[in-house]
Amino acid sequence: MSASSDPLAGLLEGEFAGLLEGEFAGCCAELYELPAVSWLLDGQLHPGGRELTLRAAQLAGITEGSRVLDVASGAGTTALLLAGELRARVVGVERGAEAVARGRGTAAGAGLDGAVSFTTGDAASLPFADESMDAVVCECSLCLFEDKPTAVREMARVLRPGGSVVIADVTVQANALPVALRGAAARIACIADALPLEGYERLLRDAGLQLHRTERHGDALAALADRVEARLRAARILRVPVLEPFRSELDAAIELARVTQRAICDGIVGYALIAARRPATSEGGRSSAAAPAAA
Amino acid sequence: MAIPDPQTRDEILLELTRSICPVCRTSVDAELNARAGSVFLRKRCAEHGQFEALVYGDADRYLQIQRNNKPGDRPKQLQTEMVEGCPHDCGICPEHRQHSCLGIIEVNTGCNLDCPVCFAEAGTGHQHDGFSLTLEQVETMLDAFVAAEGEPEAVQLSGGEPSIHPQILEMLAAAKRRGIRLVMLNTNGIRLARDPRFAPALAEIGVHVYLQFDGFEDATHLTIRGRRLQDEKRRALERCAQAGVSVSLAAAIERGVNEHEIGAIVRHGVEHPAVNGVFFQPVTHSGRHLDFDPLQRLTNSDVIGAVCEQLPQWFREDDFIAVPCCSPTCRSATYALYDGDDLVPLPRLVDVEDYLDYVTNRALPDLDIRHALEGLFSASAAGGTEATGERLECVACGVALPPELQEVAAKGFMVVTQDFQDSWTLDVRKLMKCCVSEIVPDGRLIPFCAYNSVGYREQVRAQQSAAQRADLR
Repeated sequence: MSASSDPLAGLLEGEFAGLLEGEFAGCCAELYELPAVSWLLDGQLHPGGRELTLRAAQLAGITEGSRVLDVASGAGTTALLLAGELRARVVGVERGAEAVARGRGTAAGAGLDGAVSFTTGDAASLPFADESMDAVVCECSLCLFEDKPTAVREMARVLRPGGSVVIADVTVQANALPVALRGAAARIACIADALPLEGYERLLRDAGLQLHRTERHGDALAALADRVEARLRAARILRVPVLEPFRSELDAAIELARVTQRAICDGIVGYALIAARRPATSEGGRSSAAAPAAA
Repeated sequence: MAIPDPQTRDEILLELTRSICPVCRTSVDAELNARAGSVFLRKRCAEHGQFEALVYGDADRYLQIQRNNKPGDRPKQLQTEMVEGCPHDCGICPEHRQHSCLGIIEVNTGCNLDCPVCFAEAGTGHQHDGFSLTLEQVETMLDAFVAAEGEPEAVQLSGGEPSIHPQILEMLAAAKRRGIRLVMLNTNGIRLARDPRFAPALAEIGVHVYLQFDGFEDATHLTIRGRRLQDEKRRALERCAQAGVSVSLAAAIERGVNEHEIGAIVRHGVEHPAVNGVFFQPVTHSGRHLDFDPLQRLTNSDVIGAVCEQLPQWFREDDFIAVPCCSPTCRSATYALYDGDDLVPLPRLVDVEDYLDYVTNRALPDLDIRHALEGLFSASAAGGTEATGERLECVACGVALPPELQEVAAKGFMVVTQDFQDSWTLDVRKLMKCCVSEIVPDGRLIPFCAYNSVGYREQVRAQQSAAQRADLR
């Protein structure tokens, strides 16, 4: 792998890198609220959009009245969808107070403030009682948590026995990842810190959960990368104001999108839904680690 | 290779419909079958036997795009009653499922070319059965169109060759005066090339030129037009660019003649300052046409395939959206942004397919965006025109383009393929939702493909020429 002729050098030194190394480092939610990023994603915050969120909810067994925790709920899109569409009772936890306030505002606007609430909190120390949730959802965020094992253990702790957690996340084959996708710039696409599929599965098992379903959705990620690449090019043609501050880096960003598309196409980068259940008996956790395929 | 099971048929019956016998034009039942990845229409006339024609090259796409079938709008006025059933009761009869997005008025039968291919059977020299409408007749027809549509979207003056009609400018101005948003002149460009005053006059009225443009090679011009017209086309486009007249290139594509020029035609259009869109029309086998094999004809999916194969750096097949106002298999279109270097098709920026899915029952996040997209992907749209620009601005709002850039977005380049039907391919279900109408002198609106294949054209021509002969007596 040749690092020397890196077309992304400009990107890594420019505004994008500044953002990534500054206050936004490691915090997907806030990064994704930047007008430029939001424009590029056309309001879609994760691959597969609404359809894939509903599929994840199905895997977690979320139905009317389910008590659901959405970890890293961002501006609340998923929480509101689960409450609005499935009539679940949802709590979103998010690090940023601003995002929490926004989520509350949107919920009130949609008349869903009775079914959805938001609270500030850290994934490594969830502000909820043991066994208080029927389901936990964590979409496109686990890859960004610094202490992943603790975060997953916390999800397991708040689940009632028999409840399910569903992780939706970017997967990578770390050893095959192109060098361009290893740096700070790739964090914008949730790639640099992502795990292989087995990595997420191990985290869940190590937290005492039983895996019951894994689905690969690389197509959804490919579609999103395709959309971002096209919108970057459109921004270059149209001189879209929210992206004008990054004009000198657009070429590099387009190249990054293309490298990502190729990596998805080659199966090096993917997207998956992984659902796991807390065993019905409280001491089932240990034994389940030895029987990962148990359903 | 597996040995085919002799008991298994080689085709799947998709649908039953009705068509006409290409010989006697009687209504006959017809089948649509999927075979070898394509869709064929087969029918049998008790007297003239069996006929079969290819109607869609890609069966998979044919099935996929059915979901883009938008419920039609009722026209404000019906003109005929149901007597014999479709397609024998045109004007717009109660059975018709759609209003008219685009009205066509053929102002004459005379032409300054004698093309080997001409569904209107126009030509130079004296035509014993020819006619030329008066300005008064055209005004009456425009009024009938306004009465049927309220605020008509688009009208096209055609012929014959409408530019040689002595009152063509007055006719175009009369359409403009009636508030029709998009007024088009369908022309071969010879007058534009030769008469330096013509393009400025069109610019002053605000006319969009629909310029016949089939390719670049001598063989293409000689086969389809009977003459080398490259110089005239080039000069016509220059004059339009100078005068500020926007142009759509209209390419008649015939299998084995010019399908290899499809990519070059798009590229020429994209790069030419006067051109805002390209319309591909697989040659129909109505009126004067070349010898053809109905099982080998060119269809929309073949044109889309050729665009993508010849311009892989710009387009892929899912950039083309089946237009929902007519039957989705009639017309597909895309828009693209271009800056002289890079080109990005609009459907990659926003989920057009999702917004134009009328069959899947799901809530749409934003109906305004659907509405704007319906306007863009409509038979009344032409790239880069003011009317279409307004709609693209709406879409641009939807994809969060800021206002100051909407003007740029309005310059999106349009690529369309429209497969008109002839007596071989006619499917009344498509006809019943046709939104391109011939406006005829008695005020009826006749769906374009019925006009050309069922016998209405001949009827109107006979009436008009008889009336004109009577006037001369």
